[in-house]
Amino acid sequence: MKHETTNGKPVHHAVEMYAKEYREGHLDRREFLARATSFGVTAAAAYGMIGLAAPAHAAATPKEGGTLRMQMEVRAMKDPRTYDWTQIAAFTAGWLEYLIEYNSDGSFRGLLVESWEASADASEYTLHVRKGVKWNNGDDFTAEDVARNITGWCDKSVEGNSMAGRMASLIDDETGQARAGAITVVDSHTVKLTLPAPDITIIPGMADYPAAITHSSHDPDDMLGTAVGTGAYMPESLEVGVKGVVVKNPNHTWWGHAALPEGGSYLDRIEFIDYGTDPSAWVAAAEAEEIDMLWQTVGDFVDVMDGLGWARYEVSSGSTIVIRPNQSAEVDGKKIYADKRVRQALVMAVDNAVCLELGYAGRGTPANNYHAGPMHPEYDSSVSRLPYDPAKAKALMEEAGMIDFEHELHSIDDDWRKNTTDAVAAQLRDAGIKVKRTILPGSTFWNDWTKYAFSSTNWNHRPLATQVWGLAYRSGEAWNEFAWSNAEFDGLLVEANAIANADERRVVAGKIQALIAEEGVTIQPYFQSLYRHATDNVVNADMHIAFLPQVYKWGLKA
Amino acid sequence: MGIFILRRTAVMLVTAMCLTFIVFFLTNLFPNLEKLAKTQGNFRMSDEAVNSWLDSHGYLQPLPIKYGQWLGVLPGWQFETDDGITGRCFKGTKTAAEAAEARGFCGILQGHWGQSTVFKDEVSTIVGIRLALTGKLMLCVVLLMIPLALVVGVMAGMREGSKLDRSLSTFSILTTATPEYVSGVIFIAIFSSSAVGLKWFKGTATSAMDDANFVNFFLPVLTISLYGMGYIARMTRASMAEVMTAQYIRTARLKGVKFSNIVMKHALRNALIAPFTVIMLQFPWLLNGVVIVETLFNYKGFGWVLVQAAGNNDIELLLAVSVVSVVVVLVTQLISDIGYVYLNPRIRIS
Amino acid sequence: MEPLGYFEIVIRVLYQFTPVWVALAIVFATSMAFKRRLGLYGKLFDSPIGMIGFALVMFWVFTGIFGAMDMIITHDPLSQVSGMKNKVPGTVLSGAGEGEYGWYLLGGDNLARDVFSRMVTGAWVVVQIAPLATVFAFMVGITLGLPAGYFGGRLDTLLSFAANLILAFPVILLFYLLVTPEIVDTGVPNYMATVLFVFPIIFVGVLLNSRYYTMPNFRTPLLIGVLGVMIWIYLSLISEVGSKVHLLPGVLDIFDIPGGILVVFVSVVFVNSPTVFRIVRGLTMDIKTRDYVAAAQTRGEGPWYIMLWEILPNARGPLIVDFCLRIGYTTILLGTLGFFGLGLPPESPDWGSTINEGRKLLSIYLHPALPPAFALLSLVLGLNLLADGLREESLKD
Repeated sequence: MKHETTNGKPVHHAVEMYAKEYREGHLDRREFLARATSFGVTAAAAYGMIGLAAPAHAAATPKEGGTLRMQMEVRAMKDPRTYDWTQIAAFTAGWLEYLIEYNSDGSFRGLLVESWEASADASEYTLHVRKGVKWNNGDDFTAEDVARNITGWCDKSVEGNSMAGRMASLIDDETGQARAGAITVVDSHTVKLTLPAPDITIIPGMADYPAAITHSSHDPDDMLGTAVGTGAYMPESLEVGVKGVVVKNPNHTWWGHAALPEGGSYLDRIEFIDYGTDPSAWVAAAEAEEIDMLWQTVGDFVDVMDGLGWARYEVSSGSTIVIRPNQSAEVDGKKIYADKRVRQALVMAVDNAVCLELGYAGRGTPANNYHAGPMHPEYDSSVSRLPYDPAKAKALMEEAGMIDFEHELHSIDDDWRKNTTDAVAAQLRDAGIKVKRTILPGSTFWNDWTKYAFSSTNWNHRPLATQVWGLAYRSGEAWNEFAWSNAEFDGLLVEANAIANADERRVVAGKIQALIAEEGVTIQPYFQSLYRHATDNVVNADMHIAFLPQVYKWGLKA
Repeated sequence: MGIFILRRTAVMLVTAMCLTFIVFFLTNLFPNLEKLAKTQGNFRMSDEAVNSWLDSHGYLQPLPIKYGQWLGVLPGWQFETDDGITGRCFKGTKTAAEAAEARGFCGILQGHWGQSTVFKDEVSTIVGIRLALTGKLMLCVVLLMIPLALVVGVMAGMREGSKLDRSLSTFSILTTATPEYVSGVIFIAIFSSSAVGLKWFKGTATSAMDDANFVNFFLPVLTISLYGMGYIARMTRASMAEVMTAQYIRTARLKGVKFSNIVMKHALRNALIAPFTVIMLQFPWLLNGVVIVETLFNYKGFGWVLVQAAGNNDIELLLAVSVVSVVVVLVTQLISDIGYVYLNPRIRIS
Repeated sequence: MEPLGYFEIVIRVLYQFTPVWVALAIVFATSMAFKRRLGLYGKLFDSPIGMIGFALVMFWVFTGIFGAMDMIITHDPLSQVSGMKNKVPGTVLSGAGEGEYGWYLLGGDNLARDVFSRMVTGAWVVVQIAPLATVFAFMVGITLGLPAGYFGGRLDTLLSFAANLILAFPVILLFYLLVTPEIVDTGVPNYMATVLFVFPIIFVGVLLNSRYYTMPNFRTPLLIGVLGVMIWIYLSLISEVGSKVHLLPGVLDIFDIPGGILVVFVSVVFVNSPTVFRIVRGLTMDIKTRDYVAAAQTRGEGPWYIMLWEILPNARGPLIVDFCLRIGYTTILLGTLGFFGLGLPPESPDWGSTINEGRKLLSIYLHPALPPAFALLSLVLGLNLLADGLREESLKD
């Protein structure tokens, strides 16, 4: 059986194994696609290997030209490596493109890198740079550009460089720079990455939104002045908080017209208009016909936008919210949440389905407080949460001697996060636990988000449950807002990360799930579905599972 | 008169100085600086990182010195880093020689209003653009509010106690009792939402920034005007009612002059003195309404800048915003005083 | 159970307000009966406008009080009931237990809480904070305005400058600067409270002293008693365990005001005081030229006696009228704060916050935003009408 890879090489043996696992029901489709394509198999071939036809993309071919007006927060420019909002990437994506793209079905596809392949043990990657790509100043796009960008991602000395975390296995811990010999330019269109240990997260890391590819003349302080990129667009104007406009670059031929089967970059002009953070203002803008498309529709506004007759785009994701106590936070000189009974009481007093209903209008699936779900391949569905039992919760709180303590529950001031947190507060009160709510504006909330004694935080979708656990639950991690430090958990996580087979990993994952739930680490009530609305006139405006900006796909109906 | 204006201008300057110093003090309190550092750097900065960021951006100098630099009476700070020298008076880093050349004063006295940290742009440009937009809004408000208020007031006041007076007075009380955030919300629901279905106007004024027309600009203008007009109308009514009982009006009526002529020719001028001062004093007060309405209708003018600057502790932008609003308040007070004297010959300045 | 029709909803809402109707009836009946002996208050009942205004105001005052005593509300204003989210008025309560009220009379809000109960509970928040803040603002304004107007000179120049300074500040900017978590952290509101709340003590102290200083035997114990209690209340008001101002040991500290409410309160007092100051100063300058003041001066009365016992009582008319208007203004101001998400705790049922919550979904659900909006409107309208009535009647003197 012969299958197509992005570079014409034979299919990696691991992929055949994954296909077998899928056929045996150990691997779900999304996970299979993610893994197979990250080894360089084309999405169509991957679908073929498991006996499915690739879904027909781009049912409608957009017309060439037109202006799209999109509601989106317009934020100040910064160096792509330090992007902290996908909205910034959406504005720059018109000219700063990506090596590889991650799609909502879990597959990866090469853009500026035409294809790639991994060595047998996944510790060496060869990237084949697409030929015929030109920068919009006329320079050729070569392997040197790719190597320079990857080296830049590895620079830990750049303040706020989040790419360094994704490229961790390429970085020398002592110098905080790329390890000598880790990135080699083989020829003008080939780059080889050598890792000290197997790491299958490198390719997904390169597809994330801060991984925008910049030219050698790139100046982080003047990104609009030196807007050299490979994309079809160029920035026209940017007024932070008001409006940002990109227009088609008339003096540049975009590589995608020839290289991508479906083409792309149809629009002449994309206007990103900022209507603030209040969704009711977006609705007003939609009713006034000042916009064609929303960045994201949240909560009850999904109904509102449906009611306006706009087309709905939906994707179910691993985005979620945690309402968690911080175990090392001191209130009145006492570490209240270090007591497991207190944490368990909080968890047991809350019915997750009610949080979903009141907080997110029921648009998602209830979760079980261990931050893993059906979208994660290693998820063990047999593990349950601590039972919902308000009476028991009260008893536990009394036992811990904290029944008279008033918990202060923080949240950010926005629609669904605030509502969900309010729903938790109300249920705790119903159970006889005293709660005071504090809502902080976005500008203030994030100052201490990991430190609040009791607060809610949203977490974005990540392909693997172990990725989230490693980021947020492992002892001593910067984003461990739970301040949870558990040697047993750390050990299990290392064990799980070393198991490639999802079926075998599930055994360990189940133990981890049970441990997180039993320890009462957090209330994690539901996984969200994500929505976006656009007028009927807009095509290919699909909501992306991880908010990645694929602006070249957008277009207007012919 | 000249001395009077001079004195008032001097008081105005002192007031503006005091006010900006208060704003300066409040925005430079450490928790606010910490917030600023974290929004500018990143949210997960350590305390040391915050301190070094603040130090290298000149925020940790003593308050009076910082204030002097902002005013332009003290030379701007410079700070040596590993890469070179950063300073208040220039962008980016420079070498020692370049920095020595660029050393100097750069405060508002030199016309340097500073950089906005939120918008990454010159404060003077931002304030200029936004003020022009708010100016447009206010112009429309004045054009709608003042004629409406005067007509309502005069109609009510010319026959005190009549049915017309009762209903118009109730109307003006009702408008003063309806703050913008109530009336604006109700207007949007009724006139622009699909739920009610009238859809006569647009519930957002964003497009009015470039191209204002009746459909996208009327609701915000109406919302501000209604709340402001009640007070002026009541003042006009009281003033008109008082004038109508004056001796010379009675005489005119006894002489058989037509009622409309009495009102138009004799009563109106005297009746409008009091409302004039009220209208001028109303301007600073309208700023509140502007902030609410601009937020509600997403019109990005001066009020919106105020909210953004205050919410993000954008110090230099906030200072510029306060200077502008203080000048507006004080200038309107001055005009109101001068106008009062000018309109009312009985008062002479001693 | 069946969902209620509109007629039934109106009847049931009116029925819930029974204690308020009874209280209103008693107040009106007694006031009408004795109106000739009640001075300015009694005259109010000669003016239909004043009566309507008074009725509206008292309606909300009684609603606030009885609401706080749990006599009106049908559900807990904070509890969320699954299945009741954004339900229209008159919806049957899902899963209602024994003894629970069976309907959400005015529907459920976005978090499935009872709109009716929240509106009633919100009345208590408003009825407490707005008048109290206005009283404090008047104490500050009077204590400073009387001497400024009476003595004139440097003192007047200085105080007037300070007042104009605060008035030149756009209110909204001031709130944005003062009412943020960062500022609460620095303790600035606590210090401001420490200064502002001294004024009532000074006011009462001087008031009593100037009246009774000729009778030291009576005055001294009276002053010690009254001021002692006031200072204790003052100290426990400003000192809060864990904040920057912490003077009293916890045992003596009889009540705590949470930082969030304190800062709102202080800001509102701070914003209102200068206007009151200007009014009092103007009135004092006018009244001090009257004959009866000159008579008191020749009698050899002290300046404070003249200010507090001769001038102030004669300035009461305009002050009472302004007081009513100012409560209305403060109510609007509190709502403005709620609108910008500043100040009062987020779940607070106060009207400003609930209007702001409700407006977000106004294009599809009208019912959560409208009751608090009309409540606020009617209270402010009532206060304005009451002020108008009072003005008319006091002018008839």
